[in-house]
Amino acid sequence: MDEHNKDPKDMNKDLLWRSVEEYKSGGKLDDVHYNEFMPGVKEEFDPAKMGSGISRRKFLALLSASAAFTAAGCSDYRDKGELMPYNKKPEEMTIGEANYYASTCSSCAHSCGILIKTREGRPIKVDGNPDHPVSAGKICAKGHASIMDLYDPQRFTEPQVSKEGIYDLISWKDVDNKVLLALSTLGAGEAAFISNKISSPTAMKLMTELKEKYKGIKYYYYDLFNDANRSAAWRECYGEDSTPAVIKWDQADVIVALEANLYGTDGNSVEQQRLITSRRSVTDTKKFNRIYAAEANFSSTGANADYRLRIKPSQYHDFVMTLINEVGKRGKGKGLIPKEIAGVLSGFSAESFAKKAGFGPKSVKALNSLVGDLLSTNGKSIVYAGETVPVEVHVLVNLLNEMTGGSSLYSNTVSNVELHKYSTATEIADLISKMKSGKIKLLVNLDANPVYHLPKDSGFVAALKSVPLVVSLATLQNETTFVSNFVLPLNHNFENWGDASVRSNVTSTMQPVIAPLYNTRQREAILLQWLSGSSEGYKETAYLDYLKASWKESNDVTGSFDKFWSGIIHDGLKLEKENKTEDYKFAVEKVASKNPLNEAKFAVILAQSYALGDGKHANNGWLQELPHPISKVTWDNYAAISDKTSREIGVKTNSLVEVEVNGKKVVLPVLIQPGLADNTVVVELGYGRTKSPVVALEVGKDVSLFMKSLSHRVFTNATVTPVDGKYILASTQDHHSYDETLVKDVKDAHLKRHIIQEGTVKQYEKNPDFLGKKHALISLYDEHKYPDNKWGITIDLNKCTGCGNCSVACSIENNIPVVGKDQVIIGREMQWMRIDRYYAGTPEEPVASYQPMMCQHCDNAPCENVCPVVATTHSIDGLNQMVYNRCVGTRYCSNNCPYKVRRFNFYDFRDHFAKGYYYEQPVNLGHNPEVSVRPRGVMEKCTFCVHRIEEERSKAVATGRKLKGSDVKTACQEACPAEAISFGDLVEKDSEFKKFHDHNLAYHVLEELNVKPNISYIARLWNTNTEEV
Amino acid sequence: MSSFINYLLRIRLPIVIFVALASFVTTFYVSRAERDGVGYAPDQPINFSHKLHAGTMKIDCQYCHTGVEKTRFATIPSAAICMNCHTQARTDRPDIIKLTEYYKSGNPIPWKRIHRTAEYAYFNHSVHVGTGIDCTSCHGDVANMDKVSQVKPFNMNACLDCHRNPEKQLPYLKQVKKGPEHCWACHR
Repeated sequence: MDEHNKDPKDMNKDLLWRSVEEYKSGGKLDDVHYNEFMPGVKEEFDPAKMGSGISRRKFLALLSASAAFTAAGCSDYRDKGELMPYNKKPEEMTIGEANYYASTCSSCAHSCGILIKTREGRPIKVDGNPDHPVSAGKICAKGHASIMDLYDPQRFTEPQVSKEGIYDLISWKDVDNKVLLALSTLGAGEAAFISNKISSPTAMKLMTELKEKYKGIKYYYYDLFNDANRSAAWRECYGEDSTPAVIKWDQADVIVALEANLYGTDGNSVEQQRLITSRRSVTDTKKFNRIYAAEANFSSTGANADYRLRIKPSQYHDFVMTLINEVGKRGKGKGLIPKEIAGVLSGFSAESFAKKAGFGPKSVKALNSLVGDLLSTNGKSIVYAGETVPVEVHVLVNLLNEMTGGSSLYSNTVSNVELHKYSTATEIADLISKMKSGKIKLLVNLDANPVYHLPKDSGFVAALKSVPLVVSLATLQNETTFVSNFVLPLNHNFENWGDASVRSNVTSTMQPVIAPLYNTRQREAILLQWLSGSSEGYKETAYLDYLKASWKESNDVTGSFDKFWSGIIHDGLKLEKENKTEDYKFAVEKVASKNPLNEAKFAVILAQSYALGDGKHANNGWLQELPHPISKVTWDNYAAISDKTSREIGVKTNSLVEVEVNGKKVVLPVLIQPGLADNTVVVELGYGRTKSPVVALEVGKDVSLFMKSLSHRVFTNATVTPVDGKYILASTQDHHSYDETLVKDVKDAHLKRHIIQEGTVKQYEKNPDFLGKKHALISLYDEHKYPDNKWGITIDLNKCTGCGNCSVACSIENNIPVVGKDQVIIGREMQWMRIDRYYAGTPEEPVASYQPMMCQHCDNAPCENVCPVVATTHSIDGLNQMVYNRCVGTRYCSNNCPYKVRRFNFYDFRDHFAKGYYYEQPVNLGHNPEVSVRPRGVMEKCTFCVHRIEEERSKAVATGRKLKGSDVKTACQEACPAEAISFGDLVEKDSEFKKFHDHNLAYHVLEELNVKPNISYIARLWNTNTEEV
Repeated sequence: MSSFINYLLRIRLPIVIFVALASFVTTFYVSRAERDGVGYAPDQPINFSHKLHAGTMKIDCQYCHTGVEKTRFATIPSAAICMNCHTQARTDRPDIIKLTEYYKSGNPIPWKRIHRTAEYAYFNHSVHVGTGIDCTSCHGDVANMDKVSQVKPFNMNACLDCHRNPEKQLPYLKQVKKGPEHCWACHR
């Protein structure tokens, strides 16, 4: 039997593994694991292969000769350049000190509150606004990386005439005149304005006024990810005007996620991560919530669930019916069951479902436990279906929540705000036919990208040719600007005024933190200009005045409005009174007992991308290079299939398959994903951009052409056929692995190494010291003395959801470059912080464990002793320092690092990536001025954000107090929505931090090496019913 | 032949080595100050006299160098600070006319830089000034300079001399702690 086709049952079940390939090899290491640096690292430096053909010796000779000549030619070598002070310094600015401005994120429609950090007027970092009630000081990876969109070198800088992708400059006035002419001569025609969701009440007001002035305007709203199924089901259950309730996640004892990625792509993941993990604190294990995930895809919610059930999309319906039946059977909420389904319910027992779904004993236990929990938690359980789940199932989920009393977790003081409804599929179809018939005289794309998003066979692109005037508002080139007549360049969010309202308890505001870098305007200002009816007299403050007037109108302010307004802008938000919201009266008229998704050979799920959103963020290298939380793949989408299915159709990871849905075919690379439902293919949307600046180009495949409508993203009529060829996915999952050669033949090596330590709540409650004795270790070295501070980090693995926000925030804070796909493949990604993901169990029922890994700042750091030039040394406050100027690039330190957390600059990656894309102006404006930009040939690694420590130290010295651990917050700590990372001083014996660092459940990774790391991990406790995992 | 080699090895070679070494050592030490930039006093766009302002008129350093107690940077004053007085004072002098032109044009005054630490050294003024260290300890007696020049080297040796022996270098401070010596205190 060939290695690949081995049955998983023959494998070592105790093995801890990272990829299916490793699992199948029984944990034996291949070259990738064994070698710190991947094969091929030196090859591209072979002078014979380089274009110039100049040998190293000759090159050095030329270099020294030219240096000598330059030196001889220099006259004023003492010149140190010029110092340019301000002519008139802005009052609020102190050079060298950061200013923070509260604003609102516009990376997605959730509109989280943000604080933008600026230095000398340049935005350099974004974090959450702690006062914002929804996001509470946190934002997601997209928000963190959005700062790099501001400095994208290929932003539109001027209005453009566009002709098949060839852009020519034109003035604002000319375009405005053309639009105004079209608007005033509409006659019986229509002007279609297409937009994504609008969450700004003032923009909405402005758009209404514009429509009043030009009667022919009609607005169309769409989003690729619109959660339409939930809204439709909600309206069916709770009345036409009802919007899905806000859920009090922190009060739920039991959470059931049905194909819902609460920690990633469903709902406001930042809020959900914060609220759900707030109930997983080891200091109070009684309060632990229990998370169930029933899913076909393997999401990060599934990876963090206490129980995970692997079901196919065709089984969503049966799964919920089974729960309804089992809960109803025992008398709970029985009266609510409508008679259409009461009759057929008896066919859905837990037993028969488990049999049909092919559950192993572990899953059967999980299902029974789930039914028991739904019955026993008395309204403290919530079932939540994801956005890809069909409407019919959403209705059943609502019914189930009513039966279990879970609907009591719907907030009755806060509700979601919807300023408009999305256009229905018929409205969009109408638009297209009106475009074809020539009724649409003007089409304005308000910063959306309909050509890329709208279903490909809807004929939108072809119909666009019949529209006489197409104007796109955009920041970057996209598929729609390509086919527009004119492109109007938009401001970045950080250059905008605005407001947003997504929850009834808060309205947040947006303020510019930098003057527009280019000749751009904000969306609202453009509309305002059109509303004025003239192309003359544009003022940069036009929309600010409108916004203020509109706020003055809608807020009854006693006293000075300007004072009130300054306060609002300063805070970035206005808290609204929490009024009692509507009562969600469950009144179902009809419940379909029919399963909308039939069992078929192959199901395809089009999932939302973790990082790229609907493709809008695809030109952001920091997001493209963020490893996928589960598969660890960067720079690509792929067809994820289960191990069993891969064997059936005879493919491996990196093989190619052709996926066919509704006659549409796409060839995709395969990734074998443990835990995925069999005969199911999961592909992420947002990739395969065809018209864009270079970062997003040729990254992945666009699979949206399978879609017939925007609400339908699961298909059960797919065929999957292997095709010849190979495509290498840039996955980081086997990179930077620990050296396991010494223990590879030892049975249960991973248990002996204690890299991941886990237990259950029950186990912990019975014996808090169940992790066992720590190693008794003797050192030959004298211990370091730490008179003042000794920095440390504690990472609570109970809370870490593996989202990777920390990794992006770290990259932005520390000027870490993007390396590109080719470099990731050979293991050169530069992120200082990686999230390791391990699997245990079988590929069918894997248990995943996350572990953020960065420099451990060991007391006895092995890197320090091997550096021949003393470029890495130990500091008096317990940090392992890296001195870039001393480093000569031997890479010995990295070789000797047991944690594999050091990163080497094989290139000046800014220069190397995409022909120097991130070397162009103005990317350098976004760099953190407190952190050196490392050149080629030096090693780097996590510094514990030493610049922040030193900043706080200088403040402490200046005020004469002692520097405390709580003074400093690292970038990763600030970014973690689950508060899994805490930073502090280990010398402060009585601090909360120190106590937590030495918790019963705290352990060090690779403790037996006696390198004495200063990061401790709090072992994860699974909240299962029993003592076993 | 052998006597020639003998001569080469015993006499010629040591002389050559000695001369080479001696000239290197001499050049190294003699040019040291020059290489460190000591004595560098470039012409400035405006002939501003510290002697007049800080010396004779006793204007506090911080009236102009506002950032010195707050941040890493002492900051060079903006033209607007000069104009606090010079909208009234001495408006007829050629340099003040030049200053006024700069101020009105909105452009910054391109002062020549005199003191500079390497860009990978993150020197912090506020900490040093906050501990009571006098400006003159690094910058010399600027209050008596018509034209500012660098009087001390700004290299790592100079920093460490003081960090290691502050009592010796800063005798005027009654209580002084040693400065940090670890790399990341200044470099990162």
